[in-house]
Amino acid sequence: MSDPDQRLYDLTRPPSAAAYLSEAWRRREFAILVPAQDLRAQNMGTVLGQLWHIANPALLVGVYFLIFGVVIDTSRGVENFLGFLIVGVVLFHLTQRVVQDSAVCISRNLGLIRSVQFPRILLPAATLNGQTAAFVPALVLAMAAVVATGERPSMRWLVLPAVLVAQFMFNFGAALLVARIGTSLSDLQQLLPHLFRLLFYASGVIFSVEAFVTSPGWRRAFALNPIYDVITCARWCLVGESVDGWVVVGLLAWCIALPVIGFAAFHRSEQRLGA
Amino acid sequence: MDPSVTVRVRDAHVYYRVYEDPVPGLKQIFAQGRARRRYRTIRALRGVSLDLHESETLGLIGANGAGKTTLLSAMTGLLPLESGSILGRCRPSLLGVSSALRPALSGRRNILIGGLALGFTRAEIEGRVDEIVDFSGLRDAIDRPMRTYSSGMRARLHFAIATARIPEILLIDEALAVGDEDFRHRSAQRIDEITSAAGSVVLGTHVMAEIEHHCDRVAWLDDGVLKAVGDPGEVVAAYLASTGSR
Repeated sequence: MSDPDQRLYDLTRPPSAAAYLSEAWRRREFAILVPAQDLRAQNMGTVLGQLWHIANPALLVGVYFLIFGVVIDTSRGVENFLGFLIVGVVLFHLTQRVVQDSAVCISRNLGLIRSVQFPRILLPAATLNGQTAAFVPALVLAMAAVVATGERPSMRWLVLPAVLVAQFMFNFGAALLVARIGTSLSDLQQLLPHLFRLLFYASGVIFSVEAFVTSPGWRRAFALNPIYDVITCARWCLVGESVDGWVVVGLLAWCIALPVIGFAAFHRSEQRLGA
Repeated sequence: MDPSVTVRVRDAHVYYRVYEDPVPGLKQIFAQGRARRRYRTIRALRGVSLDLHESETLGLIGANGAGKTTLLSAMTGLLPLESGSILGRCRPSLLGVSSALRPALSGRRNILIGGLALGFTRAEIEGRVDEIVDFSGLRDAIDRPMRTYSSGMRARLHFAIATARIPEILLIDEALAVGDEDFRHRSAQRIDEITSAAGSVVLGTHVMAEIEHHCDRVAWLDDGVLKAVGDPGEVVAAYLASTGSR
């Protein structure tokens, strides 16, 4: 139903995807400045403060290297195991943080949702931006550490930004989907750690899939895991591991499909979020 | 068609489903062989039609549970209608009973967050932050965490943020009732600013003094149906008579 003289428009019809996105884009500063504040608040009261954003992944690398590099040696088939481990841990950590925080980004902001009208997509977008910003110093440190392990910058390093953009796109899609599911199914919070434990082993963070998985069928199945695809491509760039075509195809498919699916799911139920 | 209409509600029905049991656990699903939950339908609005005009302050009264909050939320377009239509010149802003935006952060940071969500740029907010603080009257408390605010202080800050850019259509859901005299005076001025700029205000309240003070017309909502719309004095008198007779 529309008004004959066209001055009144239907308020109950949700905005089109294009109008919704342009509205969100107009308010993009929210998704940049608010997570910056939250990050600062996050480690307030700790001795290391902001250093925790790099200390955390660094300690993880240390623990894994102690167990899997020194005590039990899983470095079979890998030339530079420490570099291999650093790349895997840092990239895996990023996706895990984005997804786990997105699961609660709606419920944590109920006060804001109930008092101000704004495109809710800004909340998962803010989570993504915040975690990605916290990841940048860790990435810089990781690259320095990779050089310290004996790698030399090569032309392959130029491909790394493309891999990181693909991961960002994938993370965005995952954040939207998880934010949407997390609002109607609070069991998700309990489930996610287990999902990530599985993904952790299925991404070859601490071992070389090439060297340990001999069945070609299983090896192809690894290419279905987007985090494995990201880590493998990044290792190809930084520590000279090999990469096969399926991994590249898998990464491209995920980084295009998941944002579309995530956005569709999120946009469709916008009105019900936080109600 | 009347050109001064800012929001037009036609035969709006809003139903809520109220679930009688919680999300079924696995035990229930297996024991009863069903995953569907039982629910009752609450008919919160049953065919409400209403026009809101330029330069008008409309009072909205009715008992608890009569559907005032539902009608106001529906007018923002953010509540699915069962049937009927709601047309408007622009999307109204709704000011509800306030919870803190970010309880752990200071009032000043909450102004920034709320303003960004409302679509201000950072520079715009920083340019207006003094004005917002002055209007809220919370200069002494503005750097304290918002969780330490009283409900009246939260309401003041919210009102100040929400009206930092004068909205064309403002819906107020009992947000003024917790304020003190000083805040009432300030909010009355803001409401006058909106209506004198050809905007519209809807004031949902239980405080009849507020109605007499602000409103040009009053709508009385009873059990999801509009019982009367018209002159404040008459409608309020009829409403009070009906509550007295119960």
